[in-house]
Amino acid sequence: MEFKQASLKNGLTIVAEINQSAASLAMGFFVRTGSRDEEPVEKIGGVSHFLEHMLFKGTEKRSPFDINREFDQMGAAYNAFTSEENTVFYAAVLPEFQTQLLDLLGDMMRPALRKEDFETEKQVILEEIALYQDRPQHRLAEKLMELHFGNHPLSHSVLGKPETIQSLTHEDMLTYFKQRYSPSNITLAATGKVDWNALIDKADQTCSQWEDYPVSRKTPPLNPSCKKESILDEKLLREHIGMISPAPSAQDESRYAAAVMSTIIGDVTGSRLYYALIEPAIAEEASCVFEPMDGTGIFYTFICTTPDKADKALQIAQDEYANFIKNGPTEQETLAAKNKIASAATLKGELPMGRLTALGFDWIYRKEYKPLADEIERILAITPEQVHELARQYDLNNASILTLGPGKQE
Amino acid sequence: MAEKFFTHRLDNGLTLVAQQIDTVSSATMTIAIPAGASRDPTDKAGAAAVGSYWLFRGAGKRNSRELNDALDSLGCQHHESVQSEHLLLSAAQLGKNLSSVVEIYGDIVKQPHLSDGTFNPCKELVLQALDGLEDQPMEKCNAMIREMFYPPPLGRNPLGQKETVKKLTPQLLREHLQNHLSPDGTIIAAAGKFDWDELREGIEANFGNWQGIAPRTVEIDKPKDKTMHVEKQTAQVQIALAWPAATIRDKYYYAGRIVQMILSGGMGSRLFVEVREKRGLVYAIVARYHSLKDYAGIFVYAGTTPQRAQETLTVTIDVLQNLQKGIEQDALSRAKTQLKSALIMQGESTSARADALAGDFYHLGKLRSLEEISAAIEAVSINDVMEYLQVYPVKNLTMLTIGPEKLDSTILP
Repeated sequence: MEFKQASLKNGLTIVAEINQSAASLAMGFFVRTGSRDEEPVEKIGGVSHFLEHMLFKGTEKRSPFDINREFDQMGAAYNAFTSEENTVFYAAVLPEFQTQLLDLLGDMMRPALRKEDFETEKQVILEEIALYQDRPQHRLAEKLMELHFGNHPLSHSVLGKPETIQSLTHEDMLTYFKQRYSPSNITLAATGKVDWNALIDKADQTCSQWEDYPVSRKTPPLNPSCKKESILDEKLLREHIGMISPAPSAQDESRYAAAVMSTIIGDVTGSRLYYALIEPAIAEEASCVFEPMDGTGIFYTFICTTPDKADKALQIAQDEYANFIKNGPTEQETLAAKNKIASAATLKGELPMGRLTALGFDWIYRKEYKPLADEIERILAITPEQVHELARQYDLNNASILTLGPGKQE
Repeated sequence: MAEKFFTHRLDNGLTLVAQQIDTVSSATMTIAIPAGASRDPTDKAGAAAVGSYWLFRGAGKRNSRELNDALDSLGCQHHESVQSEHLLLSAAQLGKNLSSVVEIYGDIVKQPHLSDGTFNPCKELVLQALDGLEDQPMEKCNAMIREMFYPPPLGRNPLGQKETVKKLTPQLLREHLQNHLSPDGTIIAAAGKFDWDELREGIEANFGNWQGIAPRTVEIDKPKDKTMHVEKQTAQVQIALAWPAATIRDKYYYAGRIVQMILSGGMGSRLFVEVREKRGLVYAIVARYHSLKDYAGIFVYAGTTPQRAQETLTVTIDVLQNLQKGIEQDALSRAKTQLKSALIMQGESTSARADALAGDFYHLGKLRSLEEISAAIEAVSINDVMEYLQVYPVKNLTMLTIGPEKLDSTILP
């Protein structure tokens, strides 16, 4: 593994983790913009994600069909995603297509944003929103983020509300693009069998004329609500329960202990929640994940069960958390959690695509490069005491709670 | 670069297939036991699903918790799934831990405790998962279309039905598992970093003394409903279509895969362009290829809001029927590149490789090299594709819709 980094004059950063023995390479543009950067949200909520779609709809020299066809011609595995904080465009190809891929991805980053494509794609966005409305787990997560973050911009829905999408104008999108897609707000990351010199040359040729301007992100103080609410939906058969509590941020060194803690508590097998809820079938699903974010973070607990067991399941989870805060983890379960994380990271790291997001986000959040081996070493060094200390610092029961389901049937 | 393939047959009928990959540090093992959902007796549908949980609730010298902890401590990511023909047990971990994991899995298949005390929760988890299907229309749709399309019981929902699962008792399921967990016909596939001699000896030592009766053949019935609508107040209408395709053993197999790629290989494929890009009718539209040993199909899924559902169906059917009018040379070469490139990239993942090895051996009785597959893909001509469409025309479609209203199905070819 070899790490390389460079910057163009306009501020675009390029990072690469080169693995000569890989069979493919992955590449992505990481834009530091997402739903939290959408203000006013009543007017432009959902624009980041909509814009992500629009980048596939053509440039000055490429039609939407050209873009799709070129990806397909390279046999690329490609897509894009938008979160509260980032918009990422990525593809994996065989090494011979490196230059052609960058030519395409780089061009896409300066989209034509044609009005007629905007109107057609608006329908697709509305269909995507409808699709997620049929997924209770997604509805729960969206509403719970809103409940937990309140007035903070992290409460913004990534997809946006249908009425906001309906009334969003083409001009709104152009304005947003011009405020957020500055090269200094974008990182180009590449992993796998990368030809570094060719990458830099092509990036210079494709991206150096992008105009730089300052981009900022608002980070107002957090005021987690820690309220408990319920949404009744009689059409559902099962009760979906979510809990969000504060956690270390992506910049915080204690994120390693937080990762170990969430694995001990809420991994899908062998965790505290697994033994308390899944093994005795009090719930069919129960997990706790750690999600580090820009300047903050959350622990997200999810439980899914039948309505008659919902109260009991939540109570058991809260009791488990109280007990964990009091007594901390055992040596044995800390070790098992660390091994699971190390093993999962190794498996993921064997694919260029698997390393791409790690490389890109290391740079976006921390302006650093961490080889996988270092990352694993940091995890393996975590002690039960550190996890216990973290559990006392971040009280999992000091949480915003939302339930979605049919409620108790009398 | 030639793959390092190994094959070894045990006296009890179990076959070990493996690919050694020196550039990785992980190793994945997939155990395919011929005890899939289609082998559940009709009145015990769901038995394999409950069994897949129960097998892990204690085995050999370890109780349920000790077993789980042992796998966790080895950093083993394990996953159990029930398919039509097989019960699949997969375990991914660092290569250096593979031997220890092999030992634990030997216990799981040979000496599962299957004790009364751990039975009910396993059954309850399957019942809850069946409820969960009702809350997830897309999953329900994908499960139901297979059930309609394949001759029963091959397409059966692996979770079974509430009535049949409820009737299972520890005694009934124990008997079922004793009759179905058999080394004869089981395939163990491993891919990644390991020493072949050590792996072979480990499998011999831990699975060589596994005894069991060879599975009976499954009695096949005729598919029943060609079209079905399930009324449900969902935000989107789920539309699923299916028609027969070439199986993996069929000489037309690669031509069939090309057809599926032309329909749905990427964002430049016909369904995506016509239904989503040009008309904005859907967010999700996809055509998947799925094969059992003797039957295969192409399955199309589309989700759209009720007022646009009929148009979505009409446009989709048009795209399918237009296949007969011919395909362009550049669409064919795109499809070929996509298939080959997916294959090479899949080769970097030890779990994808282990599954592929097990699949190859099950369907073909041998392992296919990258070179062999690439050559076969490359050899497909436009004529082959057109001939394929004669043999496997887009006709006699099976259709399922889930949503508030029924669609006009008279337009189906």
